[in-house]
Amino acid sequence: MAANLQRGRLTPLGWAGLTFAALLMVAPLLWALLLSLKNNAELVGHSGAALHPPYTLENYAAIFGNSLTLRWLLNSAIVALGQTAGVLILASLAGYAFARLEFPLRRTLFAIVLLGLAVPSQAVILPQHQLFAWLHLHNSYPGLILPGLVAPFGVFFMTTYMRGIPRELDEAAMLDGASRWTVFWKIIVPLTIPAQSTLAVFTFLGAWNDYWWPLISATKSNMYTLTVGLAAAQMNYAQTSGLGYLMAQAVFASIPIFIVYIIFQKQIVRAMAGAAVR
Amino acid sequence: MKRAAAALLALLALGSCARADHRTRLYLQRFFGECGAEYGRSTDTANAEGECGIITALVNRFNAENPDIHIDVNVVAWPGYPQLTAQVAARDPPDLVTMHEGVISDYALKGLLEPVDHYLKQAGISTNDFTDASRAGVTINGHPYGLPWDTHGGLFHVNTALFAKAGLMRGGKPVLPNSPEELIAQSRQFQARTGKPYLIQSNVGDPAFAARNLYTYMMAQGAVLFPDAHHITLNTPIGVRVATFFRRINAEKLGTQNMDTPAAIAAFVSGEGGIYPTGTWMIGSFQQEAMTAGRPLYRSYAVFPYPRLWGQHVEFVSGHSWVVPTHKRTPAQRAAITRFFKFMAAHNYDWARTGHIPAFKSVLDDPRFKALPHRDDIAPLASIGRPLPSNVQRQNAIEGIVGEEGAAASTGQKPIARALADAERRVNDLLGGVE
Repeated sequence: MAANLQRGRLTPLGWAGLTFAALLMVAPLLWALLLSLKNNAELVGHSGAALHPPYTLENYAAIFGNSLTLRWLLNSAIVALGQTAGVLILASLAGYAFARLEFPLRRTLFAIVLLGLAVPSQAVILPQHQLFAWLHLHNSYPGLILPGLVAPFGVFFMTTYMRGIPRELDEAAMLDGASRWTVFWKIIVPLTIPAQSTLAVFTFLGAWNDYWWPLISATKSNMYTLTVGLAAAQMNYAQTSGLGYLMAQAVFASIPIFIVYIIFQKQIVRAMAGAAVR
Repeated sequence: MKRAAAALLALLALGSCARADHRTRLYLQRFFGECGAEYGRSTDTANAEGECGIITALVNRFNAENPDIHIDVNVVAWPGYPQLTAQVAARDPPDLVTMHEGVISDYALKGLLEPVDHYLKQAGISTNDFTDASRAGVTINGHPYGLPWDTHGGLFHVNTALFAKAGLMRGGKPVLPNSPEELIAQSRQFQARTGKPYLIQSNVGDPAFAARNLYTYMMAQGAVLFPDAHHITLNTPIGVRVATFFRRINAEKLGTQNMDTPAAIAAFVSGEGGIYPTGTWMIGSFQQEAMTAGRPLYRSYAVFPYPRLWGQHVEFVSGHSWVVPTHKRTPAQRAAITRFFKFMAAHNYDWARTGHIPAFKSVLDDPRFKALPHRDDIAPLASIGRPLPSNVQRQNAIEGIVGEEGAAASTGQKPIARALADAERRVNDLLGGVE
């Protein structure tokens, strides 16, 4: 209904503007896709060759020809899903505690969590690397997943979202005999699904695209994530004479992200709209 | 249920049993990319192509010829030093690593690399057989810290068809300038007759380009770039002279403007300019264009070291080498490293087919090497090549700074004296923090 009202108010000029903006947004993606379907030698001379046939899948075949590509894909999936699940669990629990429970030093602890937002990951990379070396966790899944579980933004986000849920719901459930855990699990968590979806997408994206930590923690080929593996597979100087292959890598790496967006599109929009109204 | 679990456990236990491996294992880490699809099982070094193909076939062949040794290869994203540093910090470095010679000092001066005198002696490799550029590239405080593998540096890649049109060919060879004034005069003539720029320049996002130009022509005039290991000197009459020359090329539009590396490569192979000064690593790609009928470079490609414009004919170069990170190793592993060095030295010709200059004088004199396209023309790089002083650390980072400020000076983004002074200040700040 709201969407229909919005649509009704758009003038032809507005439509044209939106269409132009959409094309502008999608143009680089289409350009990358077209380049990925071209022979590298053809592109060395003129990248405009991407605009006309012949097209080829040889760059994608080269990606799959590397025996480790599927292993890197699996590693990325394990790391990204592991981090996403971990962040959702930890951020929801912490968010509920900060939003609903009274305990000593609650405000101070929350302030400390917020301070975590101001600390760039580069600032702690050396001690973090040393710690993981000491724990013998490099070149392992825990070594790749654990640093991503420190998610102050997730805690802040879930705390803020849960504070917006009326306390009367908790009180009514407790009057009916529900325990604190039941209230959290049966009442609060279902109400935060839109926020969880948003946080999940952001966390998954961050983990999937992460390059810096996997680069220095996963130093053996079989433990590379897709970002590091694809970078290592590049053959010539800055891949300057392999533009098609480079773009095929980019397209290939972005496909899972694209799928995540499509699946969670409704939840993301709903969560954003909810946040805006609130 | 219990039976099924027991059976599963038994299967897992059986699955974890592996055949005893009595081979000596070495862990080799390299860049140059991954091409297992094409060369994963190849030992045919003579027919492998490109850096990735040749190095993959060489390691496969070493494994095949040395059944008591197995080399596990780890391919890292170029240049691989963040990973190596992380491995060193985690006390788990590889046994053999590809390293640019300009980076050796960063690790060797901290005791993180083994001097390789012992391995060379055992392998029967004499440092006297290294080319001058290679020996200088791997030697620190009198000791070799790596097996040199090649020399690479800037070259003038020339479109001979356009040079002929410009009247700049003599006896089938391009006429390259011998002084700054000659270069300017030839550029004007070239531009007037072809309507195209004489130089193709990658001045954007390619600091190595500007740094190479500045280093090379300051060295040629006898400039001491590093009076000691912690200071650089660029803002001198010589530095200003070189920067002013490249500023003039840009001001008179004798070279292309605002191009990054891929754009410059595309421009050269499309016949959009006379000379593209870039590295040895592009010879293979350009030669391929020169052999493909219908392409603008077809039968129209030649390549030479940077010409002498001032003073001596010298040129800034670097090289690839094999280094051995410091680590506890068994005598068998040390013996395996020795055999690897011997094998690689014996196959330096195969690597030279990439376009890089061989690290060994004997390969330079090898008729097979001389028979490769253009190699006679570029071979002098092995003797005129000069690396930066081996006691200077952070050479990669320094090149980035010098290149950035050098490009700012030559394109007019900054006044020349200010750009050179900024480069000096930034490099000296960087080196000031180095132990």
